[in-house]
Amino acid sequence: MRRSSMILRVVVLLYVGALVGLPLVFVFQQALIHGLGTFFRALGDHQMDTAMILTAKVALIAVPLNVLFGVGVSLWIVRHPSWLTRAIDTLIDIPLAISPIIIGLVLELAYAQNGWFGSGLAALGWHVMFSLPGIVMASIFVSLPLVSRQVIPLLREMGNHQEQTAATLGAGPVRIFCTITMRSITWATAYGVSLTLARVIGEYGAVLIISGNIALVTQTLTLNIGANFDNFNDYQGFVGAALLALASIVLLLILGVARHRERKRHDYLA
Amino acid sequence: MPVLALSTELSKPTEQPPRKWRLFGGARGAARVVRVAGKSLAVTYLSLLVLIPIAALATNAFSKGLGSFWDAATQRESIDALRLTLLCALAASLLNAVAGLATAWVLVRDRFAGQGILNAIVDLPFALPTVVAGVTFYTLYGPLSPFHVNITGSWIGITVAIMFVTLPFTVRSVQPVLESLTFNAESAAATLGASPVRVFRTITLPALAPALLTGTGLAFARAVGEYGSVVFISNNLPYRSQVASSYIYSLATSGQTNSAASVAVVLLVLALALLVAFSYVSRRIARARG
Repeated sequence: MRRSSMILRVVVLLYVGALVGLPLVFVFQQALIHGLGTFFRALGDHQMDTAMILTAKVALIAVPLNVLFGVGVSLWIVRHPSWLTRAIDTLIDIPLAISPIIIGLVLELAYAQNGWFGSGLAALGWHVMFSLPGIVMASIFVSLPLVSRQVIPLLREMGNHQEQTAATLGAGPVRIFCTITMRSITWATAYGVSLTLARVIGEYGAVLIISGNIALVTQTLTLNIGANFDNFNDYQGFVGAALLALASIVLLLILGVARHRERKRHDYLA
Repeated sequence: MPVLALSTELSKPTEQPPRKWRLFGGARGAARVVRVAGKSLAVTYLSLLVLIPIAALATNAFSKGLGSFWDAATQRESIDALRLTLLCALAASLLNAVAGLATAWVLVRDRFAGQGILNAIVDLPFALPTVVAGVTFYTLYGPLSPFHVNITGSWIGITVAIMFVTLPFTVRSVQPVLESLTFNAESAAATLGASPVRVFRTITLPALAPALLTGTGLAFARAVGEYGSVVFISNNLPYRSQVASSYIYSLATSGQTNSAASVAVVLLVLALALLVAFSYVSRRIARARG
């Protein structure tokens, strides 16, 4: 028994190590292969920096919108159930089952010049394709359910006894939300926010179609990495990849803390 | 019912609290206005971003008639891409069903130094951009591989990339169920002389089956649509190593939007059907177990 569990442990460590650990180490090894000096010089690459700023802009718009939507819609689905919320509960998960390429394509069909709303929007001077709004929309689409999927089960399990008690004691809706609801879902929301941020920063396929991948204009950091690879500029690509890998490690740490805190809260209440 | 109505009537405060926001008829009224506005905004957001675009896709795919849709979907290139995608997705998610179960088991039932790192690193595919995984796998196992292994342009490379992307799904769905499982039934069976394999097969595995199926279904749905991590290592050779999403991309960017929409509808329906089938079977098993 002891020997078999030892074997299982080694097999799992080898599998996860080879599949996930090795690529992660390899990214940094490739980025630092010419030494730290070259790495820092490569960080100043104008095209990469412009792409990075665009990615930051997109994340700053898309993530808050999706968090607001995610928390709001979770409260609605759990606290005021109806046929409409049941429909939303199902529809909201669709983005997880759709290929990013299809997400880009559907947005193009609806909002490009010759799409459903394209000509109307163009008349208003609003261009979705090959511009920031399109990239933001694609990012929102791919990460839409990530917050609500974390928050909904928690709200269901919590019930609303505490909130009712607070209301009986005379607390207003704003105060109830801030002191009770928000406080109990903080870590679940943080988990969802990190997943959303990771997905928005890392999106490739959907943004590729919608943005047109124009260097210095609509090229996000992930697209920049892909473009560098296509142009046989592997080293610059790995520098960008290392930056994103670093960001994902930070996000991973936040995810770990959020999961740990949420479990502690859960155990405390149970 | 009247009793209930009466009791809520009685529980209302007799004295109205001082009105702060007269405009909306008190704080309660303001909250109602905010709630209605929020609900309408949420529905609009979901419709404009997700539902209407998907409707546009379906309309576009059938806009030139059923015949044109069928022709685009049954092109040899399309059939080959869809078959390759499904086979690779199936291989990767089945492998990860086993590996994920083993990983969850080691994370819950085993204790060793560095376990926290293993637990954290399992989430990496959720956090690491797919394109980073894509270029890394291409360099690790491509023509310039430091291990002299070249799996580009074949189903093996595609499957490896998908295995990376879908690793966390099974682990994260099985792990909590395994944690909440008490040892009672298992130790009772062991006391009665059942071998460890038999205990696992007859007691532990059936309890984990619904979660395992749900996780595998999610992994499968994700795998079918995967693009960023696959496109570099696959080399995109039509008929040989072009996955469905990559085929749709090449159609969409070469002006064949209508064909792209048709293949996209097929892929979308496949992914949704798989997801529904997996969650249906998983619910049936869970219900059969009570």
